[in-house]
Amino acid sequence: MRSSRWLFAGIWICSAAGLMGQTSREAYRQDYDAWREVHGNLERDAGSGGATLIPQVDRAAARVAAFGTNRAAYAKAAAQTAAQQRQILQAGTTRLSPDLAPPALAALVTGELQTVTKTITRFAEDRDRGIQQLRQSLERERDALAALNEAIQARQKAVTTTTAAGTALEQVRIRAAEMIGSETSALSQNSVQLEKETAAWAAYYEGLAKAIQLANAPPPPRVEVTTVAPRNDNGPGIPRARYVGAWTYPVSNGVFHGAQPEFVDLVVHDTNGHADGTLFARFKLSGTATDPLVRFDFQGDFAAAPLQRFPLMSSEGTAGTIELIPGPAFNLLEVNFVADPRQGKINVGNFILVKK
Amino acid sequence: MCSASLAQTPDLTALEQTAHKRHAEWESQAKSLEERLARILPCDTRSSAAIAEVRALSDARLAALNDYMRAASAKAFAETAAARNLLSAEERRAVEASRERADAGQEQTAVDIQSDGLLQSINQRSSLQEPQKLLEQIAALIRQRTAESERQADVAEKTIPILRDLVAKFEARDAALQNESAAFEAERTRWSGYYSARQSRAQTECSITQIGAPGPGPARQPAKSPAKASGKAKQ
Repeated sequence: MRSSRWLFAGIWICSAAGLMGQTSREAYRQDYDAWREVHGNLERDAGSGGATLIPQVDRAAARVAAFGTNRAAYAKAAAQTAAQQRQILQAGTTRLSPDLAPPALAALVTGELQTVTKTITRFAEDRDRGIQQLRQSLERERDALAALNEAIQARQKAVTTTTAAGTALEQVRIRAAEMIGSETSALSQNSVQLEKETAAWAAYYEGLAKAIQLANAPPPPRVEVTTVAPRNDNGPGIPRARYVGAWTYPVSNGVFHGAQPEFVDLVVHDTNGHADGTLFARFKLSGTATDPLVRFDFQGDFAAAPLQRFPLMSSEGTAGTIELIPGPAFNLLEVNFVADPRQGKINVGNFILVKK
Repeated sequence: MCSASLAQTPDLTALEQTAHKRHAEWESQAKSLEERLARILPCDTRSSAAIAEVRALSDARLAALNDYMRAASAKAFAETAAARNLLSAEERRAVEASRERADAGQEQTAVDIQSDGLLQSINQRSSLQEPQKLLEQIAALIRQRTAESERQADVAEKTIPILRDLVAKFEARDAALQNESAAFEAERTRWSGYYSARQSRAQTECSITQIGAPGPGPARQPAKSPAKASGKAKQ
């Protein structure tokens, strides 16, 4: 029993690790269908079935764990992608400086045009050949100034139109940013909710198996398996050593989603159930980010749950949240952080660290 | 790709500062040009040089302005491309949210069926009460998620028209920018035409007066002094 459970768990841990960056809706829906197929009519059968139902319970538990984890990973990836794509709404749009061709410029040309026109008028009646040549030259200059004046007016009109278009654009951008901003936070909460459900399903199947065993005397020897969940030990009994200590991003074959870390140093301390820690990381630049460095501190009380969530404060004073999730092995820790968006800064990250 | 374009955009602030500087350099010389020319004899080489100098400053000003406008336009167009990508992504997300809503409903139905089955089995085995409680908790979580999926799907549907409007506004801004660039190019050509005409007038003034020409002396005595006449008219 124990070995079969670990086999199932092991299979999907490997699958989940491989799929971490490429989970698709189709993939997790296939997991769902597979789960429902394996599950069958367990609840009805549980009323009369014997211990032979236990392997089916275990298979269903493994399937729902795979489904839940893949779906949560997909939801998390979707939320992070959405957050990155929506960052363009946070920054003001490009607007041309309107004072690079000021009105004084038009005044200068108008003044010249008036002067040249007056001079032409003054020489209008003069029959002197030289004066006539000069007048013709002045007329060409007047025509050039008139055309220039017209061009300046046309450009000023175009500037006014661009300014109005820019203002209208900014109004809609601000409206869209306000509407979508709150939804970005809601999206990031979806994976948390799904992880809760996954944990609840694991507990349910565990309870169902127990109930079936209790009802069948003599109960077969049963080895408790704390979880079939992939990446943590399920429940409040997780030793703090799974979080506390110095952690680093592996030099090769690192697992991440979103921004790719180049290095990560995480230190977590425990003082009588109170956690405090520091994360310092450098990422490969992509998207709109211009600063590869991320540094923040966090603290809070350890919760009686596998997923530890603490508020964080970056070195620039940006607030956010960090989640620490025990990995599939004792020396692995998944980190997931989200901070308030700031231009040029990386504000989301998801990767697995190795204990130093 | 759009992000990369944004990242490669030259420093707009620096280009704007350069454009301001070139404008100031040209303006100070252009404003005083006619006054300076009025004090120089028509054939004095300083006359032609003064016009050429202001023309060069004008060209430099317009070139700096052109650099700034090109860079700003490139950045603006990249923003528009990013907005279009966002709209496409949000349209896909709206479809996804709708599917999520349907999925959640399906899962809720499945759990309800499980719950019914378990309730019937409890009559035969009381040990199943504990899993029944856990299943109720799961059903509550799924109901909560179903409600949230409903809400998110509704918001996603409402967001799409706003983003479509946003993309339309981006495109209108870009069209205005293109018009402004075209108008600027036309003006640039006119400035060039004006300085050519001004230089031509200076040559005419010289050819009909020959005053101030280098060499053995004036070729002829002008009947009148049109250069001074036109200069006075401008005062």
